[in-house]
Amino acid sequence: MDGEAIDTRLLAHLTEQSQDLNSDATRITRQALTEYAEDRREARRGRGPGAWAAGLLGAGAVLLGSARAEAASATPSGSPDKNDVMALQTAASIENLAVMVYNAASQLSFIKSGNAAVMEFITKTAAQHEAHGKAFNAALTQAGAQTQTGVDPKYAAKAQADLPNIKNSGDVVALALQLEDVAAQTYTKYVSVVTTPTLRTLFGSVAPVEAQHRSVLLSVQALLNANDEALVAIPTDVAKLPAAAGSVGIPVAFYPTSQASPTSEGAVS
Amino acid sequence: MTTKPDWELPGSEAQLTALTREMDEAHREVLPLMHARAAEHVEELHERGTVRQLHTERNLARRGFLLGVGGVGAMAALAACSSAGTQTPDTRAGTASGGSYTGDLKVVALAVALENQAVAAYKAALANAKAGTLGTVPPAAATFMQTAMSQHEDHAKAWNAVLTGAGLAAITGIPLSNAAATANAVNSATSTAAVAKLALGLENQATETYLYAIGNVSNSGAIATAASIAPVEAMHAATLNFVLGQYPVPDSFISTSKAASPSMLTV
Repeated sequence: MDGEAIDTRLLAHLTEQSQDLNSDATRITRQALTEYAEDRREARRGRGPGAWAAGLLGAGAVLLGSARAEAASATPSGSPDKNDVMALQTAASIENLAVMVYNAASQLSFIKSGNAAVMEFITKTAAQHEAHGKAFNAALTQAGAQTQTGVDPKYAAKAQADLPNIKNSGDVVALALQLEDVAAQTYTKYVSVVTTPTLRTLFGSVAPVEAQHRSVLLSVQALLNANDEALVAIPTDVAKLPAAAGSVGIPVAFYPTSQASPTSEGAVS
Repeated sequence: MTTKPDWELPGSEAQLTALTREMDEAHREVLPLMHARAAEHVEELHERGTVRQLHTERNLARRGFLLGVGGVGAMAALAACSSAGTQTPDTRAGTASGGSYTGDLKVVALAVALENQAVAAYKAALANAKAGTLGTVPPAAATFMQTAMSQHEDHAKAWNAVLTGAGLAAITGIPLSNAAATANAVNSATSTAAVAKLALGLENQATETYLYAIGNVSNSGAIATAASIAPVEAMHAATLNFVLGQYPVPDSFISTSKAASPSMLTV
C-alpha cells in the first residue's frame, strides 16, 4: 500500500456523516425492524406468524409444501429462527468489512489528492454501509440475538491480501467491486432465505443499494480503463461519455446469486 | 439525436466494448435461471391450488352469468376463499376490484404492466430521438435506453411466463390507469434530460414496487424473481442519476413510498 496506513479513526467521523446521509428511505427500515420486533413479541405470546399461519391453514398448509408455512411453523417457541440470525450476522459482517475497506481506501494519498468524485463516492458509500450494518445489528438486538461487530472472514482474508498491493484508484475500484457484488448477491439470496416478511423487506431494501454501488464502480472502472478519468465527475460531461458507458453499469437483466455467501459464513460462533 | 445506424466507437472504447460484450454474455447465462424460477413459481402455484382455483373462478363466472343472483353469491364466497388462501392482503390497493388476476398473480400482472410501460417509454424515446425531437442525444444515453429496454423486455417475459403457466393470458399491453399520461409525458419531452427524468421515475417506481412485492406476496418463486429484478432497476436508476448530473446512490435504503399500487391495474 505504498506505506499508507489504515486509519480507522475516520469511522467516528463517518458515523456522524451517516446521520445526514440517511434519507427518508431509512424510515422503512426502522418500520421493518419495529415490525420484526413485534413479530417476535407476538411469537413469544404464541400469536406470531407461526401461530397465525398454523391457525389459519392448519396442518394442511405444511402438507401443501408451502415454504412460508414451513418456515413460520419452524419457530413455534418464539425464539428467533437460527438461520435468520446467521443471515443477519453474516450481512453485518460483510457491511463491517466494507466500511473498513472504504475507510482504508479513503486514507490513501492518491485517493485523498485524486479524483473528487471517487473520494466522494468512497466517503458516502462507507457511510451507507455503516447504516446497513447498524440496521442488521438492530434487527439482531430486537430478536434478542448477538450482534456482529466483526468482519466476514472469507472476504477479510481476501481484502487483507489485496490491500498491500493497491497502487492506484483502479485497484481500489476492483477490490470494492468484489465486495459490492458479494453483498448484493448475498442479500438478494437472503430475501428468499429468511422466514419473515419484515426481514425479506430489510434485505430487499439493501440489496438494490449495493447493486447501485456496483453499477457506479463498473462505470468508473470502465472510464478509468479507457483513460477517461476526467469524465468521472458529478456532474459529468454526458455528451463526451463513450457510448458503451451507457450500458457498462447495467450488465445483467437479473441479479445473480451464485456467489452469495452462505448464512454461516459470518455468523457469530 | 445523432442518429447513426451503427455506432462507430472511437479507439479508446475498445476495452469498454469488450467489457460490455462479456457482460452481455453473463446476462444471457442468467436467463435460463430465470426461466427455471418462473417454472418453479408456476409449479408452486399449482401445488397451492391457486391455479386450480383460478380456473374454478372462471368457470363459476361463466355459470354465474347464466344463473344470475345465485351465481353471484357463489362467486362472492369463492372470492373470499381465494383471498384467504393466497394470504396476500392487498393493503395498498384499497379496493378489491375484480379481474382475472388475483392474489399473488395480481402483483405479477402489475409487474408485467410496469415492465411493458418501461419498454414502451424507452421505445418511444428512441423513436423520438431518431426523429430529432430530443435534440442531440449523447451516445451513452442512446446505449443506455437500448440496453435498459432490452432488460425490461426480459423482465416482462419472465413475469408473463408465470401468468401463462398459471393458465392466464399474458399481458402484452399496458393495462395501467396512468398509461396514457405516461405516454404523453414521454412524447412531450424535448430533451434527453427530460426523458431521463421520466425514465428515472419509472425505474424508481419499479424498484419500489418489487420491494413491496417482496414483503407482500407469499409465493417463493415470485419473491425470488422480484428480488433478482429490483437491483437491476436500481442500477438503471443509478445510471440515469449519473446522466442527470445527480449523485447515483442517493439513498441508503430503498423505500416503498413510490411503489405502484395494484389498484392501478385496469385488468
